Amino acid sequence: MDDLHPATTPHHSPAAEQPVARAAEQPYIRVRDLRLTLPSPAGPVNILRGIDLDVAAGEAVGIVGPSGSGKTSLLMVLAGLERASAGSVRLGGREITGMDEDALARLRRDSVGIVFQAFHLIPTMNALENVAVPMELAGRRDAAARAAEALAAVGLGHRLTHLPGQLSGGEQQRVALARAFAPRPRLLLADEPTGNLDQATGEAVMDLLFDLRAKSGATLLLITHDARLAASCSRRVHIADGRVLADEKVIA
Amino acid sequence: MILVFRLAWRELRGMFRGSARGLGVVLACLALGVAVIAGVGTLREATDRGIAQDGRRILGGDLEVDGGSQPLPDSLRGWLAARGARVSDIVRMRSMLIKANGNGSSDDRLLVELKAVDQAWPMVGEAVLVPPGTVAGALANHGLLAERVVLDRLGLKPGDSVRLGNASFTVRGELRVEPDRIATPSILGPRVLIGADTLPSTGLIVPGSMVQHAMRVLDPKGTDPAAFAADLRAAFAGQGWRIRDPGNAAPGVGRFIDQTGQFMTLVGLTALLVGGIGVANGVRAWLEARAGSIAILRCLGASARTVFAVYLVQVLAFSAIGIAIGVVAGSVLPILAGPLLRDVLPVPPVAGIYPAPLALASLFGLLTAFAFSLPALGRAMQIPGASLFRDPTSPTEAKIPREILAATATIAVILAALAVLSSPERVLSGYFCAAAVATLALFELGGWALTAAARAAPHSHLPWLRLGLANLHRPGAPTRLMLVSIGLGLSTLAAVALIQANVRREILDQIPENAPSFFFIDIQQDQLAKFEALLAAQPGVAPAQTVPNLRARVVAVKGVPVERLHVSPETQWALRGDRGLTYAAAMPAGTHLTAGAWWPANYTGKPLISFDAGLAKGWGVGIGDVIRVNVLGRDIDLTIASLRDIAWRSLSINFAMVASPGFLEGAPHGFIATVRVPEAQQARLLRSVTDALPNVTGIRVEDVLQAVAALLDRIATALSATGSLTLLSGALVLVGAVAAGQRRRMRDAVILKTLGASRGQIRAAWLVEFGVIGLAAGAIAALVGSAASYGVVRFVMNTAWVFLPGTLGLTLLLCVTAMLVIGYWGTEAALRAKPASWLRNE
Repeated sequence: MDDLHPATTPHHSPAAEQPVARAAEQPYIRVRDLRLTLPSPAGPVNILRGIDLDVAAGEAVGIVGPSGSGKTSLLMVLAGLERASAGSVRLGGREITGMDEDALARLRRDSVGIVFQAFHLIPTMNALENVAVPMELAGRRDAAARAAEALAAVGLGHRLTHLPGQLSGGEQQRVALARAFAPRPRLLLADEPTGNLDQATGEAVMDLLFDLRAKSGATLLLITHDARLAASCSRRVHIADGRVLADEKVIA
Repeated sequence: MILVFRLAWRELRGMFRGSARGLGVVLACLALGVAVIAGVGTLREATDRGIAQDGRRILGGDLEVDGGSQPLPDSLRGWLAARGARVSDIVRMRSMLIKANGNGSSDDRLLVELKAVDQAWPMVGEAVLVPPGTVAGALANHGLLAERVVLDRLGLKPGDSVRLGNASFTVRGELRVEPDRIATPSILGPRVLIGADTLPSTGLIVPGSMVQHAMRVLDPKGTDPAAFAADLRAAFAGQGWRIRDPGNAAPGVGRFIDQTGQFMTLVGLTALLVGGIGVANGVRAWLEARAGSIAILRCLGASARTVFAVYLVQVLAFSAIGIAIGVVAGSVLPILAGPLLRDVLPVPPVAGIYPAPLALASLFGLLTAFAFSLPALGRAMQIPGASLFRDPTSPTEAKIPREILAATATIAVILAALAVLSSPERVLSGYFCAAAVATLALFELGGWALTAAARAAPHSHLPWLRLGLANLHRPGAPTRLMLVSIGLGLSTLAAVALIQANVRREILDQIPENAPSFFFIDIQQDQLAKFEALLAAQPGVAPAQTVPNLRARVVAVKGVPVERLHVSPETQWALRGDRGLTYAAAMPAGTHLTAGAWWPANYTGKPLISFDAGLAKGWGVGIGDVIRVNVLGRDIDLTIASLRDIAWRSLSINFAMVASPGFLEGAPHGFIATVRVPEAQQARLLRSVTDALPNVTGIRVEDVLQAVAALLDRIATALSATGSLTLLSGALVLVGAVAAGQRRRMRDAVILKTLGASRGQIRAAWLVEFGVIGLAAGAIAALVGSAASYGVVRFVMNTAWVFLPGTLGLTLLLCVTAMLVIGYWGTEAALRAKPASWLRNE
């Protein structure tokens, strides 16, 4: 896989440690004592129990851990889709825990791309419209053109007017990738992006993801069960029971 | 078969425990529609029953002999007395009631309907007086009783003095309940009651005065009423009297109730039609949610027919509950509303369960349930077992089997036939059905056009505008459903509002330029000069138009006695009671002859008349036909020489019958005069004329028109209230549609928020979506309302129709507001959806 991503090689070399070193000064993501408690029928559940995490700009971090360990919750909080119960989360130097809903939406629109396991395309919009939405929301006049470009870049230039229901799973996830990358976000959050795909398709999608990331230089947080995928990242964070269990550099 | 019920029951059982989404709307829609129709039907029956039950009371006896302007002869009295019948004499006329030692202002006199009664009155029922007392006691020594409104308007209290004609009376109190009176709003003045013995002293009865003499009869004990009436008719055949029995106590009122009831039933059917759309949609949503179960049943070996039967049973079970609720509500609500409607209905409705209208309403409900649920059921039976293995996000829309389509069409035709056949006005109902189909088609077309336009709309750079417009044409967008569900109710309301506004305008605002301000009636030949002089003495009063006025009663048309005559319903009125008859040598100015010719100025031949062309058509008569009328007790054969178009709306003196000169001049008769006078001088003129000529009655045209308009407003209120239920039904469907799309809305909101949409943008997009639908629905409703009101105003009410943008604008505004409110409600709920729970991997 690595040979397909020459652009990612710096992260696999010792040089890749540099962002980690710089992170001490100005990490892109800076999480301190993050706690998340959610109500449940059986009483409050502590999902995250004090996460500390720094991620440098341009770094690719794989987040691994058993089901229910809080990986997705961490990602949701980083995306501003879930509100932290306590602690601090800074993205690009800005504290997001106190932001209101619309400020968080603007933040996502301008600097965060998200890829889900279940794709989460709007089923009543065609591929082009789905990809154009975030850029339209940002008021970009070239939204459609850029969406078409992004779809061409994921190999779906001929499928612009297809509805999600008319696309295969792999194609849908490629639309989702185009949607996430087209606005050129600084941070990409991916939650088990291959979980709903067969192995071959999953691999192709991941190749694409790493390729796009390399070209854009975005910071990547990838949740995955797949050890091989985690190994493609420059760093692996192991989460269990709402805490960071291990944080290790990946030596390719 | 048992298997079908067992399978149906298993699913129903689950629904009763909670999740009946879709079918809840079905139930509510049917209940509402059936309730409206059952309620209107029950109210109508209860009122009819009230009239029938109170026929004797309203008639004031077992029989009423109406002699018209002629007092009934002693021979009749003798005949009745000889058979042991009890009688009571009644004289009715219009007059001016003048407050004695009034302050000379304009409000010291009032046009009243005067009724002079003898000691026997009332023979049936009880009169209620305030302060309490007997009628005979109150009316003795020139006593007078009056309706509350008379006392209020003239500021009278017991003991006050008033004048009627030449005689003075003492007010004794209020006539609170007058048993033989139908509670219709008084167009020509409220009631005043005096003793018959005091009537001559008023000097109001003069030759030719517009007065009605009647005799009420209580059958002798032990006689068969029908036989007695037949004997009476036979003994006094050819007298030109109207002899009525309790079954026919209030023919005009019966017709009024029929017509109002008819319109309300049509509005009720509209509510049911909207309900039908709710049924169709609810059943579809419910079946879509069961697509998985259906596919499993098919996999397990159920045939398409079994599936159809299982779900039909369930739909019918729910429909039956809805219909039952509707029937109960429709039968109970009129009873509860009865006291509120006391002022609106002519008689108190007789509370009770009326099976016929309830059965009819249930049948309408059942047929609606069938017609609107069959297509969805037909589609469901086509769901193949294999669909279990397919991608559930791309359901294939199955074709409706041909036999189901045929069954649906058949039921729709039966429904229309039932609507037409169960109606007393079949032509109107037929037009209604056609209009309903056309309206549905129009909304369908409008929905299609709106989606196409949204698709073709140029790309906007405003993301919320683009999103909002895109929502209109997305696959599966409920645009058309929302359009029709809100639009039908608004069409109804717009039509009612436009009809009301048009008729009001016609009555009040469109008074012709040269319309008279006053009608003065009962002017005697020897008073004409004085009358003219009084007018001349007043500055600004144009010379009066004065016409001889006789009262004539139609006895036979083309040799057929009136009792056996069949004429069109619109012209029935002219056969009841006395009609005005005048004579003229020369053709009056402005006359428009449609057939025949006016007689020569010096004509002296056999009696001819110029007859109203409209009545002639309704009676089926033409030039040369003979109409026999009774004038002052004498039968005269009048040959139709010409037909005229009468512009009743001109408000000038219009006689249906204008006779040739030479044979009526000698008969005692009075004159009618119309006077045109500026508003500011009307009170003074009325005072000077009625003071100087006490027997003359002045009728202010403006007052009459106001009273007519008020009556129409009441009918319009009843129709609007019924129309509001259609809107409510539409709102139910709409809320159902929005609720059904709520999952999609939440999912979209979550994804859009994830992609960076602010709540403001999402709100704006949905407000665009709902606003555009509201605007389109309003526009179509305005169109339908205009067309429907045009049809009713022009062809049912036969008056001119004008476009009233204000009323339509209000409709449009209402429509957009309703949509935005419902849209906002749905949007806010969707915006509250928590993204995290939607986005987590399941």
